[in-house]
Amino acid sequence: MVKPASDSSTASAQVSPAGIWAIAIVFAALAGLLFANPWPYQRPYAGAGLVPEWATDTATVRSPKLKPEVTVAGYTYPCSACHKLFPSPSETDRALTQHGEISLEHGINNRCFNCHSRTSRDAFADHRGAAIPYDQPQLLCAKCHGLVFRDWTHGVHGRTNGYWDASRGPLDRQKCIRCHDPHAPAFAAMRPAPGPNTLRMGDTQPDTTHHPAVENPLLIHKQPAESVDPKPGEGH
Amino acid sequence: MTDSGEKSRDDHAAPAGVPGPELTRRGFFSKGSAAVAGGAALAAALSPLRDLTGDNVPSVEEFLQKHYKAMTPEEIQVVLKRIERKVEQRYEVDVSVQDVKPLDGVEFVYALNVSRCIGCRKCVHACVEENNHSRAPEIQYIRVLKMEKGSINVETSDHHYDPPLVPEHDSYYMPVQCHQCAKPPCVKVCPVEATWQEPDGVTVIDYDWCIGCRYCEAACPYWARRFNFADPEIPSGELNPDMTYLSNRPRSKGVMEKCTFCLQRTRQGRMPACVEVCPTGSRKFGNVLDPESEVAYILKHKRVFVFKEDVGTFPRFFYYFDERGSRYHEPLDVVDPGDSA
Repeated sequence: MVKPASDSSTASAQVSPAGIWAIAIVFAALAGLLFANPWPYQRPYAGAGLVPEWATDTATVRSPKLKPEVTVAGYTYPCSACHKLFPSPSETDRALTQHGEISLEHGINNRCFNCHSRTSRDAFADHRGAAIPYDQPQLLCAKCHGLVFRDWTHGVHGRTNGYWDASRGPLDRQKCIRCHDPHAPAFAAMRPAPGPNTLRMGDTQPDTTHHPAVENPLLIHKQPAESVDPKPGEGH
Repeated sequence: MTDSGEKSRDDHAAPAGVPGPELTRRGFFSKGSAAVAGGAALAAALSPLRDLTGDNVPSVEEFLQKHYKAMTPEEIQVVLKRIERKVEQRYEVDVSVQDVKPLDGVEFVYALNVSRCIGCRKCVHACVEENNHSRAPEIQYIRVLKMEKGSINVETSDHHYDPPLVPEHDSYYMPVQCHQCAKPPCVKVCPVEATWQEPDGVTVIDYDWCIGCRYCEAACPYWARRFNFADPEIPSGELNPDMTYLSNRPRSKGVMEKCTFCLQRTRQGRMPACVEVCPTGSRKFGNVLDPESEVAYILKHKRVFVFKEDVGTFPRFFYYFDERGSRYHEPLDVVDPGDSA
């Protein structure tokens, strides 16, 4: 009983003073290193990205004035100011001498008088030639775009801004030409706002190694013929 | 017996000069310096605590604050005032933190037109600004997935697209955010009930009750929840001062957050920020219990689908698309799948 106890106590006591000094120096060096902090913590994420002003702008794409007016050299005239003096001829194939800046890219609708009234230049024309006022362009568009007009009247197509709760405030339903240029009505392509730059947003490339697009039967017609392999498992 | 044995050994050992429990000059210096170095190392190991500021250490009131649902209206008012004070102190701007209750007879529903979305990502950034997201590390609630036309294949979708102009002709875009499920798996897994579904259908988080275990993030099939891995950084000038307790007040490090349909706006009758900013009008929002509302019309008349229907979450977020006859921007010469096969 005595012998082992004395052995262990002498073993702990037998650490040489040099060893203790070495431990002390290592500890002190470590302490100094940690205090000096020579490798400051690097944030693994990117700095704050600047959100461009235009990306949070709630304005509509276009802001037409919904009036039959034209501004020339700082003065504003109603359309009828000119067209009273110079009545337009019935539509022909001759080149325009005025309004040459308008390029009509409206599908098969390539005649001015399909929309503009031939008799009253301050109005549009409906199917029977009766006037549609300039501030009601949706009635004009509805002549051809019935499905969209039906959706728009229910607020399903186009922008609605303001209040969903009518008792609290107005619901602002935007008219067609706030988004569509009537002479080139396709919605204009725009620059996308900056994409995500986060740690947890995943790989920057879509993963096609484990789920090759060729496995999607709906996409098979998009694949080049050689990639439609009878044994798709082999390539990987 | 042992005591006497050791005692006798010590008695004999000391005169022989063997280092023992008795204090020698050499032993004192070596052991003493080791102890000092050890103490210094401990202090150094604790030195990151130097960076703790008052913001990181909860006050006694914060520590004893009850769960949102357990607080009386008076207690909530006290908490709101305290949060206001703290936010004003930190960001040096005047803010108002309110507790807006759900409205009676209202259930919020969102609808998104995938045939009109052009993938411009304006909704993402409007949301960041409205809801006081951390700018670094970046937190965004909305992810816009670029999808290949002719399929709904999330595996091959891409949210890092960056062409000069959108939309690209061979893609469509499907923004994904919190779906405010009627059977939310994120609520089910929360071990501390820090997240729950409000009567108007919005799933909210008590940021002061969340322990940051991130179970809800793992449970969400839509990847709609975000975790604050670091102290959020928000430029003071960009802070939205109109805040509520359950939605857009500044979060702290270590808690989850998520889309709340902009409660601070929608419970006061307004549209969410993403709806307001959408240039195409693809995003629709409203009260589905009101038969006159836009979303009620969409659910009744449009072709609607929900994302990952098979997981049984019953989302309140619906995608819809338009009839082929009204999608004028698409070319009519459709690729026939039978041609190349």
